[in-house]
Amino acid sequence: MKKIMTATALMLATTSLASAEGQLQLFNWGNYTNPELLKKFEAETGITVTVTDYDSNDAALAKVEAGGSGFDLVVPSANYVPIWIEKGLIVELDNSKLANKGNIAPEWMDVAWDPGRKFTVPWQWGSTGIAVNTKVYGGDINTSDIFLNVPAELKGKINVVPEMNDVVNMAIFWAGGEPCTEDLEVLKKARDALIAAKPDWISMDYGATEKLSNRDWAASLNWNGSTMRARIATEGEVQYGYPKEGYPLWMDSVALLKDAQNVEEAYKFIDFIMLPENAAMISDFAKYANGIAGSEAFMPEDMKTAPEVVIPEEHKAAGRFLPTCGPKAQEYMTAIWTELQK
Amino acid sequence: MAERGFQVARLPGFATTAVLVFIALYLPIFTLVAYSFNASQSVAVWGGFSFGWYEKAWANTQVKEATVRSLIIAVSASGIATTVAALAALGTTRRARFKGQTAIYVMINQPLMVPEIVTAVALLIFFAQIKVATGYQGLGYLILAHSAFCIPFAYLPIRARLEGMDLSLETAAADLYASSWQTFRHVTLPLLLPGIIAGAMLAFVISLDDVVITEFVKSGGQDTLPTYMLGQLRRQLTPEINAISTGLLALTVVLLTAFFLLTRKKE
Repeated sequence: MKKIMTATALMLATTSLASAEGQLQLFNWGNYTNPELLKKFEAETGITVTVTDYDSNDAALAKVEAGGSGFDLVVPSANYVPIWIEKGLIVELDNSKLANKGNIAPEWMDVAWDPGRKFTVPWQWGSTGIAVNTKVYGGDINTSDIFLNVPAELKGKINVVPEMNDVVNMAIFWAGGEPCTEDLEVLKKARDALIAAKPDWISMDYGATEKLSNRDWAASLNWNGSTMRARIATEGEVQYGYPKEGYPLWMDSVALLKDAQNVEEAYKFIDFIMLPENAAMISDFAKYANGIAGSEAFMPEDMKTAPEVVIPEEHKAAGRFLPTCGPKAQEYMTAIWTELQK
Repeated sequence: MAERGFQVARLPGFATTAVLVFIALYLPIFTLVAYSFNASQSVAVWGGFSFGWYEKAWANTQVKEATVRSLIIAVSASGIATTVAALAALGTTRRARFKGQTAIYVMINQPLMVPEIVTAVALLIFFAQIKVATGYQGLGYLILAHSAFCIPFAYLPIRARLEGMDLSLETAAADLYASSWQTFRHVTLPLLLPGIIAGAMLAFVISLDDVVITEFVKSGGQDTLPTYMLGQLRRQLTPEINAISTGLLALTVVLLTAFFLLTRKKE
């Protein structure tokens, strides 16, 4: 017993150095941080970055809000950034320490969730659209009709990823509404379309990369990065459609925590990832775009031109960010979602 | 000879049911192991045989660190939990019944009754206050939390063993002028050992497996193997996960075999 106690005491003594010199604690989505990027950062600055994973915005928020988390940087999604700001969990960035801030692409500078980029800098962004195997269906794929008025060729072969915000908002866009709408007529139209279309869907499941790649599904409401992998796996059979009625965009951004203990190191890291060659490393790993101008030049050839990553000019206008909805809109959305899942 | 009496094995359909149950239990595991040798990126499309994912997992420092961390926590927590559980089991069986004994059973087994998420949230808030007050961020919190929920898993087999043990052996030792310590050291403890080992193994596996409480309690850089694997889910899953799981499976099989051989010798 004594041995166990001594061993435990020893271990406690050696692991309690959260704020040691040259350390940085990054709290990020799992499988989202390129280890090569961290190696390069360490080689340049001598700062070791420790990554800890989370798998949902809510989990990350709950942990940090409880206090004493020991993290320095966090990477929340766009619709969660205002919550982090409002709760006072993240601080305004000191631009004098961020020489590379000018590298943020102009369209990502003045974003709705953080006007003027006072609190956050871009990490990665992507879109939700519709992946279709064009060998099965040859018609127009840039429309939400694919999953709301399923064409005969795709009946019983299309999947819808079970993400409430994406699915319900795409139906609302299709019905001519705005995200977070409280307009009952629009909501009813969206709801009716979803309920009527559901019998034509094969499933509401994740795992689209796999199922599209091995042609189990002929189509799916899906994310862009995943669709790109499926396109490569099927040698171009699977294509990505941007619904003209409107499709959701998402972005995860890096923010500095108020109770960060390694503030100087954190600034160095934030500045580091805004250099185009470093931002390209982030994209190379997770296969999403990053929001830093000039990073395309450093990306692998297949990403530079991928129509899933670089949104074609004619589809840009239909992309919209989902804001943080009010309680009423949230309630409507949840009601539609619950009914759809029955 | 065994025609009389009720025997499950003689019920109609016994063999079919047994085979089906074994298939349901083990087929997914075989599939998982098979795809860990897949040469392609996919966890569902076969692309030829390869050890590539094992090499990749082995070279992945995050996986290595998480594995070592999981083992440190599991060894410490099962050690602490088994010690405490053995003392508790002795205290609740080797004495006359006392008032409030049932209440004590319930309290010891509380982690089995309370949903894990409730404990996790409570610990998150409680430990957060300590973290803020002391600035200490180490593995101690995880070890303590794991020890706490491992106690009933260690306690139950030890108590079962104690209750099944013949008291007359201990009485005989006392009759022969053994001190109570000698009785414990030379009679009770050796007889109890299989129970203690069983309890410790169970606690070890439960700790190694834990996701919910770990996810809430962990500080920076404290991902264990299960929380690391959970973090991978949102992105693309590759057979690397299968390779890691197979490694974990192999470790469990080795442990269980060792346990089986150890206890068989004792009997």
